[in-house]
Amino acid sequence: MAYSTKVIDHYEHPRNVGSLDKNDEDVGTGIVGAPACGDVMKLQIKVENGVITDAKFKTYGCGSAIASSSLVTEWVKGMSIDKAMEIKNSQIAEELSLPPVKIHCSVLAEDAIKAAIRDYQQKHGTPAAE
Amino acid sequence: MTDADYFGLLGVERRWRLDRGALERNYLERSQASHPDGFIGQDSGTQRAAMERSSQLNQGYRTLRDPVLRAEYLVKLGGTDLDSSDPRTGAPKPSQAFLIEMIDLRERLAEGDVAAVREEIEARAEQALDAGIAALDRGEVAEAARELVARRYFQRFLDEVDASEERPT
Repeated sequence: MAYSTKVIDHYEHPRNVGSLDKNDEDVGTGIVGAPACGDVMKLQIKVENGVITDAKFKTYGCGSAIASSSLVTEWVKGMSIDKAMEIKNSQIAEELSLPPVKIHCSVLAEDAIKAAIRDYQQKHGTPAAE
Repeated sequence: MTDADYFGLLGVERRWRLDRGALERNYLERSQASHPDGFIGQDSGTQRAAMERSSQLNQGYRTLRDPVLRAEYLVKLGGTDLDSSDPRTGAPKPSQAFLIEMIDLRERLAEGDVAAVREEIEARAEQALDAGIAALDRGEVAEAARELVARRYFQRFLDEVDASEERPT
């Protein structure tokens, strides 16, 4: 399958690969999986005063899944958590020109950032929106 | 397809434990009977039907002779398509604890100890398949689907181990 140049760029030079301390009060961790293919994605955010100051990910999956999570970590840095909660998989898919069979990779990345935000909110006793 | 499913198409009983001899025999017989060469000179509709049947037989045979594909196919006949991400009819999502374990496994792999990790996961992939088959035997499709999804995660992990070992360093 032909990957778009943006996917290849993120795949070859993934941004923000790594881990944050999941026990840190300011860190939210989201772990999601795509059961159909066995991809696993961990996405973490560090939040200060409602703003995401750092984001890291580890994705074990195909190029599109890696690119989707890499892109999301790039996007959310400097974003408020409310704004980050609004990220839609369609925006990710569009930015990376994902073909229809790879749309689920962008869904995974959306699920991961939402799960990370919810984890952070739970740590702080904020009722998880949605 | 006139026959309801691959089991019917290939004339074997619809269950995981199947009669391998009958599968091989029926596949060969039925493939010969619908081989496109036997339909040369006939109208295009008949030829096309023969070709479609041949291709269905090939696909059915490939699916049924493989222990994993056969189990996954039975789950699909039970209403759960493991290749789909549909929340209702697709592959069931594994637990958060399971996903965390899958991440931890990768970290253990990065620390070395490849042989031990591989052996452990190969065993667990096999256990998951066995548990899935046992659930199918009991008619518990949802349980079988969960086990077979776990098996896919283990398999995916083993594929990654293989790929990392083949990569020249």
